[in-house]
Parts: sequence; structure tokens; C-alpha cells
Amino acid sequence: MKDRISVKFGGQSGQGINTLGGFVSKALKNLGYHTFAYREYPSIIKGGYSSYQIDFSSTDILSPSKMCDILICISDTALEEYLTTVRRNGVLLHSVKDYEFDSKSQKYIKNKNITTVYIDSLEITERQKAHSIMSNVVMLGSAWQAMNLDIKVLESVVINYFSNKKDVDIQAEKKCLEAGYSIKQVKDIKKINLPILKSQNWSKSKVITGNEGIALGAIAAGCRAYYAYPMTPATSILEVIGDTSLKTHILVKQAESEITAAQMVMGSMYMGARAFTATSGGGFDLMTESISFSGVSEIPLVIVLGQRAGSGTGVPTWTGSSDLNVALYSGHGEFPKCVMCASDALDSFELIQDAFNISDRFQIPVILLTEKHIAESIFNISKLPGIKRIDRGLSQNGISRYIYTNNGISPRWIPQSGKNTYLTNSDEHDQKGISTEEENTIVNMSEKRIRKLVSLKKILPEPKYYGNTNAKLIFVGMGSSKNAVLDAMKQSRKPIGYLHYKYIYPFKKEKLTQLVKGNAKIVLIENNQSSGLGKLIKEECNFYISNTLNKFDGRPFFVDDILEYLRK
Amino acid sequence: MKTSLTDYNTDIKNTWCPGCGNFNIHLALKQALVDLDKHPSEVVISFDIGCNGNGGDKIEGFRVKGLHGRAIPFAVGCHLANRRMCVIADIGDGGCLHEGIDHLIHAIRSNYDITLLIHNNENFALTTGQITSTTKKGKRMYAFPFGKTEGDINIGELVLSLNPSFYAKGFSGDPIQLTQIIKEGIKHKGFSVIEIIQLCPTYNPENSLDFLKERIAKVEKTDDLNLAKKRVINKDKIYTGIIYRNSKLKDYYSNLVSRKDIKTELVDEVKNYNVSNILNDLQ
Repeated sequence: MKDRISVKFGGQSGQGINTLGGFVSKALKNLGYHTFAYREYPSIIKGGYSSYQIDFSSTDILSPSKMCDILICISDTALEEYLTTVRRNGVLLHSVKDYEFDSKSQKYIKNKNITTVYIDSLEITERQKAHSIMSNVVMLGSAWQAMNLDIKVLESVVINYFSNKKDVDIQAEKKCLEAGYSIKQVKDIKKINLPILKSQNWSKSKVITGNEGIALGAIAAGCRAYYAYPMTPATSILEVIGDTSLKTHILVKQAESEITAAQMVMGSMYMGARAFTATSGGGFDLMTESISFSGVSEIPLVIVLGQRAGSGTGVPTWTGSSDLNVALYSGHGEFPKCVMCASDALDSFELIQDAFNISDRFQIPVILLTEKHIAESIFNISKLPGIKRIDRGLSQNGISRYIYTNNGISPRWIPQSGKNTYLTNSDEHDQKGISTEEENTIVNMSEKRIRKLVSLKKILPEPKYYGNTNAKLIFVGMGSSKNAVLDAMKQSRKPIGYLHYKYIYPFKKEKLTQLVKGNAKIVLIENNQSSGLGKLIKEECNFYISNTLNKFDGRPFFVDDILEYLRK
Repeated sequence: MKTSLTDYNTDIKNTWCPGCGNFNIHLALKQALVDLDKHPSEVVISFDIGCNGNGGDKIEGFRVKGLHGRAIPFAVGCHLANRRMCVIADIGDGGCLHEGIDHLIHAIRSNYDITLLIHNNENFALTTGQITSTTKKGKRMYAFPFGKTEGDINIGELVLSLNPSFYAKGFSGDPIQLTQIIKEGIKHKGFSVIEIIQLCPTYNPENSLDFLKERIAKVEKTDDLNLAKKRVINKDKIYTGIIYRNSKLKDYYSNLVSRKDIKTELVDEVKNYNVSNILNDLQ
């Protein structure tokens, strides 16, 4: 018996796929299932192919399947792209009139024993005297029938959604949904076996994307200004913080460039507020001079780097994890920084709070990596973790801004009327902040700053180990790779383990070194071509992990990828 | 106790060339702040890199010596976080018109309530005399014995084309007038662009005190944009004073819907916030 089912909606960009997927996600959750939703879309507004895939299970799941059990397509482009993602004995429902499968497709359908049903959704819509746009709702009803689920649950989700919209004929929506649900050909399909719901019920749970996790975490951490320039996949952070700003009163500024955004963040942080920015690789490249400035001037700076696939403009709306190097080595000169990496919506929420605390307390730039796959996938959570206490390490007042200390952290006090003034300097400087070219001061001040890295390393936790303690095979990774491996653990009988790096730099190596000394086969898993984490491990631990599982086709690791690797 | 000029002095040795316009620009800035009774701890000055930036340790206040061309966005970040502070961005013609010109343009259209001092000495001086977009045509400069190939940027013309709220032009050779201009700029609620013709005897000796004094004509402030535009393109005269002021434009922060009726500043608001209602809104 399978414990997870995957249903995918495919269509052109702009056809309303996300709305359909959102309905199904929510209705499945209301039934008590745990869901994970994964989106693919092109870098165009209208056309191409896009998909919204929902995996659901009776236990918690964090990653998408490569293959789906039910595919619903409303455009020929999606049919062409996604037909071969339907699993053996799966179901394909589509509404593309007069579509003719080519011989290759026909062969696939036959060999995989796929049940294909064409639904003339437009004609059905007309029969209900409804607007043609509601043909999508017909397909929604049919999809629900194919899953053999209670229509009332879906209906209430749909009605609830449209009751908040103006000028929507709710009765017509309802009729179209019923009509789709009642199609005989779909009713006759051999029903799939649904996961059996256990005592743990997810109906009261919440759905949240990784970027929503970051936005909420930042709000919780007392962030009062958000400065950004739009860039996928960071843009939706701007959306969430902007759309909620009437409630939070956060100042949201769309800056004229990423350089501007980073500088404005630093200005506000210098003054004692909390602010941050988020971008993707190209925008991050522009921010690197500011990162170096933050390092030497000891002005806190928090940047979220949402990774996507490729160099240059790359494959803008697809995922990957190839920017660890640029995060680690960004900025000229030598200065301390902290790099961390989110893996899902929950730790996105937590890590951005850590980022603020570390940046404030250690007065360093902190880079939080995320990925398109984390940023825009929809996770199902029972609740948000508790909010982390704000820890800023601020002093009331002081004499010398850059005074030498054992832990490298000089007391920082915020500019305010009546306080002692100081010069914050991008030039190398003495303890008072005055520019210097004096050799001993250069050495002492550089050493003071680097000592902060040692202090920070002490408080960072070792990477977390998941799975069997007697594992024969242990994956080592970061980011969303974790989710596919953890999901695979539930499905595979093999005793495997996974060591997850959440706090990447300064690098913690104790646990990894222990594991490497053991008998298990160590496998580096990375959603990139040249194993950025592996290179860091070599640099820090002086050993290579020669077994690697890399993927760099713009897609995330699917749970199937891990299972396939384990079968080999 | 009232603030005095000595409160703004530091004990750092001056490193500017003899005759450098920066001496008087600093004098005027200090005097303006004293006249407005601003204590150094109420002032934030965001410098960039260059001869102007080397002034960062020669005046009191909360000072930041930042990256080349980035004095404006850093100052904006400071201002938005705490409007109780008087925020000044201090930049040269090189950083302002080259690497940071986007910041100038967007700050004018945003109308942040800060004051910008542009030290215009018509060259990149600290890097030993390279061409900027205000360098005179045909003038021999570093690596370009026949002068620049490109055209000019007239700061006044550029600023006035962007619907500014305040544009003034001062002269380092007239610190009394410059003091008045800076005071007006600080008091103005909006983005105050103050271009300062700065003497640079080392790399721009042609622009001597006498040469400039002959051509300078002081004007009274006006809200007539067309008159202001005519003045800044005049080939024979260099008009100084408040060239244009429009007090009707609201500043950026006052236009922010999300900050309407909020009495506190961002710096006062850093605390943990409950986000459960926002999470519910997202469902």
C-alpha cells in the first residue's frame, strides 16, 4: 500500500493552475492529510507550461514525487511536457479539444497502462450556463472524483474562496464543480488506493511557503524595514511583507538597485533598527562590496540569498543550490561572516531570527541561503515554532567604538542624542574608528575582527543527524536535499542516515569527522554540479567525500531520486 | 548649554592640500549645525570615499565613511530608521555623478528628508586627478592629455529636470553664504541637493578664487522652475544661492501609508512580534 499520492495540475502560465492546486491542497488538508505542494513555471507571464503538484500522505512529507498518480492538463503544452510524469496505472484527465497523442505518447500510455479521459469542460460549462472561465472548476470536480473523495469538503473550500470575491456567481461555480465530479467516464475509472488516515490529523494545520516563513520570522524578530529589488525567487518576500505592512507598520522600500537595498539596510541597522534584504544570485553579486564594508565597519547586515539555477540570468524560475561559494567568499579582503542555509518553511522562520541575532551581536554580515524550491513550495505545518528572543548585545554608551576585546566583539551603542559620537569606518581604522595605515594597528584590528569568527563558532550547533544510528549509508547535505532524503527514509527499508548542515559557516566539523571515521558509506548530496559544500568540507576538514549525488537540471531532488540511488 | 563650533572640532590633523575648498565647506557645515543648535550627537553624516570622505574624522557627529558613491542610500537608511537625527550625505562630484548617479536621481524623485552636499571640484582628486563629468572639455587630465572625449553633466540641469524639492548652489570661497544655504537645506523638509563649487588648487587651478568670483552672481530663492532652469544653463554667470525650492512636495516618509499616524521611529520598535494573526491571514 502506498502511503503517498501525487496529483498534478498542468497548464499554461496564466491559466489559473495555482488556484486549482491551492483548492486541492486545502481540501486534502481539511480531510486530514499532510500535503506538500511543488510549483514549476516558466519565466513568462502567459503561455509555456506550468504545474502545481500536490503530494499527500497520512504522515508528514516534505518533498515532491517525480511521478504523479493523477495528472490534470488544461493545455496542450502541459500535456506534452507532463505526460511522461504519470506513473504506471495512473490517470490522465485533460480538456484539450481534438488533441492527438503522437505515437510515442500513445506507446507510453499503453505501456504504463494509463487511463486517459478527455473532458469537454467548455461544453459542460456552457450546459451549466456558466462563464467559460469556470471550465477549470469542471476539471477540479473531475480530479476530485478521480481521487474518490468527498465533494462536500472541496465544495466548501471553493465556496469559501469565491465568497470573498466580487462578481462571482457562486451557484454556477458549484454547479460546474458538481458536473465535473459527476462525469461517468471518470466515475468508472478504477479508484486509486488512498493513504489510510491515522490518529494524527492535519485538518487544523497551516500551509506556508519558505518565503512566507522568512517574512514571518523577520517580522517576529522585530525587523522594521525591508529594502529590496525584485528578483525571483526572493520577490515573494517583498510581496508578503508589503501586503501585510498595514498591519505590521513595517517600512517597505523597493530600492533602485540591489546595491541601494544593501546600503539602506546597513544605514538602518547602523541606526539601531532591524532591516534586511533578499535577492537571488545576480543581485547578490551586486551586494558583495557592501558585505565587505559591513565586515570591516562592523555594521550588521542580513541578506537572504534565494538560489535559482544557472549562471548569468540562468534559468530564472527553476531551482538549485549552487551559490554557497559566492556566499562564503563574497566581499574582498578578510573579515568574518556567517552563512546559514534554510531547508523548509519552519527553519526559514527560525533561521532569519538567528540571522538577526547573530548579525546584531557579532556585528557581522549574515547570509541566509534559501532555494527557489524552498521559497515557493507550500509546506504543511502543525504550528509555527516559538519566537526566538531578541539578542542584540547593544551597550548603552561607550568610549571607543572598535575597542580590542578577547572575543573580538567591541561594545556597540546606537547613534542617539546625548550619546558619545563615533566614526564608523570602511577604511582600516584604530580603536576610535580613525583611518589608519599603521602596521600594528592593521594587524591588531584584523585579528580582533577575525576573533569574532571563533566566538561565533563556539555558539553554533553541530549539524543534525537524522535516521538510523547503524546506517550503512549516510548522506551529508544542506538545503532542500534534506527533505527528499527524509521522505525517502520513510519509504526505504535500507538503514540510512542523513547529516544536515543548517549553519554552514563558521564550519562545525566534529560530528562529520566522527561519521567519516565510522564504517558507513558517506555520500554528499547536493543540488548543484560541483559540490560547493564538499569543497568547504575539503577546506575545513582536509578530506574529500568522493561519493556524490549531484543534480543540476533546475529541478529539486524528488523523493524518487533518492530511492533510485538507494536501489543502485 | 548651547552647542558651539568647538564641539564640532576634532583633534585629527588635516590632510587636505593647502587652499583646498574642503576647509571652508567644513567650516560652513559646522557653523550651520551650530546655528541650528544641533548637538553633534544629533547629527549623522554619511561620507563616501575621496577628499570629501577624508573629512570624516575632521568633524564631530555620528559619522560613517562608507563606499565610493554610496553616501546617499546609506544616509537614507539612517534617516528612515530614526528621523529624530539630522542626516547629511556628503559626496564628491565623482561618486555622485558616476558610480552613484542612480542614487541621486532616485533620491530626488523619492524626496527623502535628508540633505546632500556635493563637493564639486570637477575631478576625482584623491586618485590624483582623473576626469569626471564636470571636468572642463579639453583640460589635460590623468591618462588623457587631450582631455575628455565624453560630454558634461550639468548638475543643476540634471537635478531640475527631476522635479526636485530643493536645489542650491554654494561656493567654498564664500563660506558665509554657504552656511546660510546649508541651514536652509537642513531645515527644508525634503531632499535638499546642495552643489558646492569646491576649489581644488592641485588638480583644477584654472578654477581659481578670482576666476570664480568674477563670474558668480548671488540670487534670492525662487519657486519658479523655469527661471531656475534658465539660470543653471547660463554660460556667462554662475548663480549661487537657493536656485529652486518647492515646499509643496511632501517628503517620502510622510507619504508612506504603512507609517501613517505612527508616532514612534523604527529604532524604537525593535521587539518580538506575535505573527499568528498574519499566518492566519495567509491561509
